[in-house]
Amino acid sequence: MNIIVCVKQVLDPEIPPAKFKIDPETKQVIPPAGVPPVISVYDERAVEAACRLKDKNKGKITVISMGSEKAVDVIKHAISMGADDGFVLSDPAFENLDSFGTAYVLSKAIQKIGAYDLVLCGRQAADWGAGQVGSILAEMLGIPVITLACEIEVAGANVKVKRIVSDGFEVLEAPMPSLVTVSSEIGMPRLPAGMRLMMARKKQVPVWKAADIGAEASFLDKGNAHTEVTGLSVPSRKVECEIITGATPAEAAANLAAKLANLI
Amino acid sequence: MSPVSATYLGIPGYVIFWVMFLVTMGLFLPRAYFLYRLMCLGKQENRFDRIGERFKNMLFVVIPQWCTLKSVTSKDLAGIGHALLFWGFSCFLVSYIVLIGISEGLGLHSYIRGGAFETGFLTVLDIAGIIVMLSMIWAAIRRYIVRPPRLEISLEAGFIMFMVFSLMVLHFCTESFGMAALGETHGLPPISSAIASYLVNAGVPKDTLMNVSYGAWWLHYAFILVFTIYIPRSKHLHVLASAPNVFFKSLDRKVVLEPIPLEALESEEPPELGVSKIQDLKWKDILDLYACAKCGRCHVSCPAQVSGKTLSPREFLRHMKDHLLEAGPGLLTKGSNGSGEATPELEGKRLVGDVVTEDEIWACTTCGACQEVCPVNIEHIRKLLEMRQNLVLVHNQMPESAQLMLRNMQTRGNPWAGAQSLRLRGDWTNDVEVKVLGESDENPSTLLWVGCTGALIDRNVLATLSLVRILNAAGVDFCVLGEAESCCGDPARRAGYEFQFQISAEENIETFKNFNIKEIITSCPHCYNALKNEYPLYGAEFKVIHYTELFAELIKQGKLKLTNDVNTLIAYHDPCYLSRYNGVYQEPREIIDRIPKAKFKEMERSKTTTFCCGGGGGHMWIEEQHGTTKINHVRMDEVIETGADTIATSCPYCLQMLEEGIEQKGVKETLKAKDLVEVVEAAMKQS
Amino acid sequence: MDNYKGVLVCGEMADGKLAPITIELLGVGRKLADELGEELSILLLGSKSGALGQDAIAYGADNVYISEDSLFDIYNSDAYTMATANLCKKILPSIMLFGYTDIGCDLSPRLNGRLGGGLSMECSALSIDPATKLLVTTRPVFGGNALATMLSKTARPQMATIRAKVMPPAEHNDSRQGKVIPLEDKVDPSALKVKVIEKIKEEVEGVKLEDAEVVVAGGRGMGTAADFAKLRELAGVLGGAVGGTRVACDEGWVSATLQIGQSGKVVSPKLYLAVGLSGAMAHIAGCLGSKCIVAINKDNEANIFNVAHFGIVGDWKEILPPLTEKMKELKGK
Repeated sequence: MNIIVCVKQVLDPEIPPAKFKIDPETKQVIPPAGVPPVISVYDERAVEAACRLKDKNKGKITVISMGSEKAVDVIKHAISMGADDGFVLSDPAFENLDSFGTAYVLSKAIQKIGAYDLVLCGRQAADWGAGQVGSILAEMLGIPVITLACEIEVAGANVKVKRIVSDGFEVLEAPMPSLVTVSSEIGMPRLPAGMRLMMARKKQVPVWKAADIGAEASFLDKGNAHTEVTGLSVPSRKVECEIITGATPAEAAANLAAKLANLI
Repeated sequence: MSPVSATYLGIPGYVIFWVMFLVTMGLFLPRAYFLYRLMCLGKQENRFDRIGERFKNMLFVVIPQWCTLKSVTSKDLAGIGHALLFWGFSCFLVSYIVLIGISEGLGLHSYIRGGAFETGFLTVLDIAGIIVMLSMIWAAIRRYIVRPPRLEISLEAGFIMFMVFSLMVLHFCTESFGMAALGETHGLPPISSAIASYLVNAGVPKDTLMNVSYGAWWLHYAFILVFTIYIPRSKHLHVLASAPNVFFKSLDRKVVLEPIPLEALESEEPPELGVSKIQDLKWKDILDLYACAKCGRCHVSCPAQVSGKTLSPREFLRHMKDHLLEAGPGLLTKGSNGSGEATPELEGKRLVGDVVTEDEIWACTTCGACQEVCPVNIEHIRKLLEMRQNLVLVHNQMPESAQLMLRNMQTRGNPWAGAQSLRLRGDWTNDVEVKVLGESDENPSTLLWVGCTGALIDRNVLATLSLVRILNAAGVDFCVLGEAESCCGDPARRAGYEFQFQISAEENIETFKNFNIKEIITSCPHCYNALKNEYPLYGAEFKVIHYTELFAELIKQGKLKLTNDVNTLIAYHDPCYLSRYNGVYQEPREIIDRIPKAKFKEMERSKTTTFCCGGGGGHMWIEEQHGTTKINHVRMDEVIETGADTIATSCPYCLQMLEEGIEQKGVKETLKAKDLVEVVEAAMKQS
Repeated sequence: MDNYKGVLVCGEMADGKLAPITIELLGVGRKLADELGEELSILLLGSKSGALGQDAIAYGADNVYISEDSLFDIYNSDAYTMATANLCKKILPSIMLFGYTDIGCDLSPRLNGRLGGGLSMECSALSIDPATKLLVTTRPVFGGNALATMLSKTARPQMATIRAKVMPPAEHNDSRQGKVIPLEDKVDPSALKVKVIEKIKEEVEGVKLEDAEVVVAGGRGMGTAADFAKLRELAGVLGGAVGGTRVACDEGWVSATLQIGQSGKVVSPKLYLAVGLSGAMAHIAGCLGSKCIVAINKDNEANIFNVAHFGIVGDWKEILPPLTEKMKELKGK
């Protein structure tokens, strides 16, 4: 089976909160120096899901990422985990695209790659977290979509997905090709096995520009954006924390208990 | 007149002698060859370099018995016993060749017997015999009555002690009865002749005396042959394997991990990574198994074992040896018929899971205590690390805590990252005057390599800042990498994730070369060991020194002046990777010695026999086995015992572990853990 | 673009009643509609929808679109998308509101893809720009590190999904008037590609995390799964629920469904007790709505103290048992 995984390179979400800075003018985040960007956590799990499917059913995994040329790193990471091939979609015209624009670019790249049985995406990106690209992409490709998967298996010509809902799970089936968005509950991504790590380092990752995938300018025009960010701010939420003390930990606990008794 | 020239039931003694000898060889040689072939199952490795040095090593370690004497303490004197036994028995070994082989077997007794040479030799044997007998009695009392924890109660050991003791008794019988029969009671050899004169005085008939002497001689000979057959079939194989094992020991480094050749990985049939099965070990590792006498020194000095974990280096080796001998014949058949048809039984079991447990493999802190105390230079750690390599690189099998650490290293370039860290790598440089490479115009060729822990963890950053201030005060021209520094790769390597280490090493070496770095000062002993001993295999050519070495030198040169009184009773915890791995233990003591008013208290386990803090080998991040004592708590008890008010160390992991130990033991009021740099800074004149 | 008029709420039902989130959406929807001077509509799907028409009107809807087809009784992404898209194409709403719920999170982006609108997920505030009359949404981004305001200049409908308990619920007023309009277009079951095979309810002991008034959460500092039992004990005393950070869930110390944070559940209890967790922003994003946050952590520099109202610096192992005892005592009185 052929699986295509869409991944995004994001600012490391685990940077110290005090280091998080934005530029209100450009409405962009200023990445702190020396902090390498990482693969978005959910997308990494989508790669993991793809690898598990490949382990079981054989096949080929192709990873694509839209972003700067540095996104080669996340493609290589995916390859080191078990993906076979990967492409970076990078073009000045792709910068700051909204969810529709992103889905459009991905759909053109997927059409260029050709036949596929499954497209996997993370449930949302760890940065802007719009949580829409997968669904819009499925609509653009005209294929069924199942969101928030925590287990994916192939059942004949169908894909069978266990999906997370607030009070438990749902099991769904859809004919392939389908698109599935993956949630973190799928489990820890694998540590890239030894040899793959070295192999991925040497792998050439082609960079496709707008012209390479036949993306039309009108779809990339910021004037036609479906949504627009008009402001970005860091909320000030510093509250005064009252540190409860006591001669012993037990006494501190008792003092805290007294405070809390009034609250509940 | 000799036992062999007599005839017995019409059969000449010579015939009996040589038939017995040939039967013995018929049993001994095939076994020895079998063991040799098993050893050849192991992978190749060149241990034939620097032959002269190896001979010298072996002679100077084995003959003076430094191997066992080095671990003698007031609580464990057994090494002396072994040395006495070795020297005594060596005399007998010579006598077996000279007096039995050459003199009797080849019938050359007329040249050997009856002269001053014989008397002299027999005198030596008399004394040696007494020494051996005493040491056997001592050994038996120790093993079966005193029962120190490192020894096991085994029949095997008892049998050997009985045999050795009997050989001595038989020797005395042969000699004294023989001398009595000939009436030679002129004082030398002293004991035999004393017994002989007693026998003569007792009026035992000459024939009886001669018969007993011959009987004892033949029995003696038979026992030697039984011994010869028995040795390669028992743990006393170490008698044969120890000296070669010392000969082939690793000459430079404590733990020899070779780079995995990447070209081989791209071949059609890439090799199995790390050690999965017994035949994946190197031949020297198999020789190690032969050389182990199960003396248990490693067993009692292993921090994992001492703190109640399932790992025991002794048992680890035993299980592998048992497995080797069990699976060996099958593996050899497979090799010889050349069919290449591998059946699962012949292929052998996987070591981890079938022979040793995964828990054991992950309990090791790679502190090296087992290797340090091992009298025969067995290399436990690399076997274990190569098993980790196989688990991690091939089977993705590791504790979750290890995986979290390795993932962090991979994505963020340090093992600490994540919500635990509220700092970025270069943050500390804002708090002190320091040249950051690439930011300042000058680029000194000396680099201070801070290490992940010293750059990211608040407590250790304090020590880093101290270090920088001291270097500035001493006028050392150096720079740091700041944000551009990355992990040295050591935690990945110790956790078996070899390629991550390889990548880190290559990238860091490139950075050093780009900035024209000639000398590197480190503060973390783990970085120090990696940079100094392991990076050269990846093309590094830099001088690497630890700050303690530099400080000692600066003090000698008068550049670092320690003038302030520091009223303290200070103990020093030697970091394994500094003292044991790299022999740096004198320098810290020299530095402490120069601190005015500071009194030094040596810890019982110190210098190269220091005890692990629990943080090495990736164990800063890998969780300890549940339901066991924490290693740092064991060590903290030893620190408290010294009565010191300051426990200094020079490793960021040790510092954290000691502080945690102080907290848990509730001795915060009376005991402080400090990095040695902090103590030094306190002793420096504040300008 | 100007043909698009009115606000449409995608309603949800729970236990035969309007879901609380839907009542909240009607509240904010009414406000937006009034500001624009347009109508507020709601779509209710499922066999019990007819019975709730009047209720929805009482909560502020001018038009209630219903389909009593039992096909909708279990959420099916294909069916809901078709039915909703059909209605949208007919009534051309200017604004659509969804709950940030299982249904809303799945349906809204899908529908957006089909209709070509502009969608903001997980909004914490909505307003109408007075000059342009456009819907301005505010939503957390970068794991709650920043807030972004967004709008759609030309794409219609303007869509937003809203977190539960962010908006005040609409007031019930029986005197309100409105129309209940059954949907004309039927959904052909054979056109559904995605099939729901089964639903598995995970029974959570005690109170549900999302509904709990007290939440006790643990993180990396807890150390083991066994230690979470201590949190459960305290939660039991306080009548609350237990949750965990991503690390705690990844480690398997607590069920993945009880993850609190950006990628898990968002809770807003009266009391949030954060034990042994340092407060990564991605986690904070899941509990920031809590009325009172209490932190117990060894590290006095941990980020959790920046958002907590009360804190104890110390080892939870020494603090939790006496705290549990004391709370038991105080509760007993």
